[in-house]
Amino acid sequence: MTTPLQRNGVTIDDSFAEAFAMKATRIVITAHSLQWARHAAVSATGFATSVIACGCEAGIERELGAHETPDGRPGIAVLLFAMSGKELARQVERRVGQCVLTCPTTAVFAGIDSGEALALGKNLRFFGDGWQIAKVIDAKRYWRVPVMDGEFVAQETTGMIKGVGGGNLLLLARDTDSALAAAQGAVAAMKLLRNVIMPFPGGVVRSGSKVGSKYASLGASTNDAFCPSLYGLVAHSELTPETRCVMEIVIDGLTEADVAAAMRVGIAAGVALGAAGGLLRISAGNYGGKLGPFHFHLHQLLES
Amino acid sequence: MTGWTLRTKQVPALRVDMRGVSPIALAALARAEVERFRVGYGNSLVALAEFFHVTAGADATLRFAAELARFDRVGWQMDGGLLVVEGNVGDYAGACMRSGEMTVQGSARDLAACEMAGGTMRIDGHVADFAASTLPGSMDGMRGGTLVVKGDAGARFGDRMRRGTALVFGDAGDFLGSRMVAGTIAVGGHCGVHCGYGMRRGSIVFAGATPPIGHTFAPGVAEVAVFWQLLARDLARHGGAFAELPSRRIARWLGDLAAGGKGELILVE
Repeated sequence: MTTPLQRNGVTIDDSFAEAFAMKATRIVITAHSLQWARHAAVSATGFATSVIACGCEAGIERELGAHETPDGRPGIAVLLFAMSGKELARQVERRVGQCVLTCPTTAVFAGIDSGEALALGKNLRFFGDGWQIAKVIDAKRYWRVPVMDGEFVAQETTGMIKGVGGGNLLLLARDTDSALAAAQGAVAAMKLLRNVIMPFPGGVVRSGSKVGSKYASLGASTNDAFCPSLYGLVAHSELTPETRCVMEIVIDGLTEADVAAAMRVGIAAGVALGAAGGLLRISAGNYGGKLGPFHFHLHQLLES
Repeated sequence: MTGWTLRTKQVPALRVDMRGVSPIALAALARAEVERFRVGYGNSLVALAEFFHVTAGADATLRFAAELARFDRVGWQMDGGLLVVEGNVGDYAGACMRSGEMTVQGSARDLAACEMAGGTMRIDGHVADFAASTLPGSMDGMRGGTLVVKGDAGARFGDRMRRGTALVFGDAGDFLGSRMVAGTIAVGGHCGVHCGYGMRRGSIVFAGATPPIGHTFAPGVAEVAVFWQLLARDLARHGGAFAELPSRRIARWLGDLAAGGKGELILVE
């Protein structure tokens, strides 16, 4: 961090976000109404904030109109990311099985056609206890599983591709109100983009972490360098006395360009809020560039 | 890839077995080699030039500008390319086809598209019996691809069909989809008796007249709106009697209960 830039009174650190390769997929959940599709999607993406303990990171990408879905009903596009294909398969099966299959009127379809095939309805079909029926329509295989409201239709597989997880922005603000306003504005701007999710609650995480801990059993612990409560206590703090609240936005995307685009609009939203709105600095989390292959330099994002 | 156009010299006295004559097989040959390509005629093999004038085509299509009613197995085991017949064809047209596109601008005799496994076959006229079914003695009928018959179909259309989509824009004969294992059949006109006889799974859509329903079928009461939209939208792209399917309601009969009951007759209201 040598030459910070100033935009609308906000300092943009000469830093970068360090992101990792992940396995990713998209599923499309449709239902009789958008309300029921949303119920299923919210449930399926619950407890999926971080791969540290959730198994996967998942979120609602966007709502789909009836003209955008295979069955002509309203739907929700959901993105899921995991550290391995095996874990992603396990998470998709559990979440679709427990949260989509169970939700009234829903059906589930592949949201990605390319890549490696990942089981979607392939194993869930056995819930039909022998009454399930396969149907190939337009070269796509579906399973029709009898349930109490009719039948649950699930495409047999969805596509699994390489994604990028861990893009991030750190928003350093004057106080809690300012930090929340900056974070909410940035998340709102990012949500307009496709192919990305912000998996934490409301898209925002207040417990940014560093790798390692003084406790051997923990792989991650609080990011003390960005904790205002530890300013003046820890040996090295990234903060200044006027920074009293920091929020982080974590971004997972299907490609490096998608994550970069989301970070770019997030920075722009923060700059638009400006120092007058209480946002003091924008920074990013990294591990010195030694762990993740994707580096998103804030200044480069600002210039592009 | 070289396309060829074959024009009839004379109507053969015996039936001609055209197996081996496919767009891919002929594309790599010179004209003289195509003329020498041998086909079955009675109990002997005869050069194609005995029956056809061979000229290079404007595109990669193998085109028969000819009446082939006495020629069997046209498009037999075809595995890619385009084949057009500007007239009628004999038995086994497109049988065991694996990929590619075949168009018959006339009608086809028995066993058209039997054991077809992929690709698309369009017949502008009619098909006789056992289209989209099995080779005699075989267990599985049509097992993939799309068969579109613009005219009428004879009896046993889709017998033992296992996979794929077969459409009849006109009327279908008796025993439509008999012993069907899976797949989709759609009929735009009337249908004979015993449709779905012994079917284990699969869907038969009646976009035209209501067919006589056998006693071994039970009414389906559940709503299957998702499945119907997926299927109806796929069928609708073929137009004609199927164009409006996504906006129409359906009634279903499930059966054949004598064979497990996982098939369905879909009556479009």
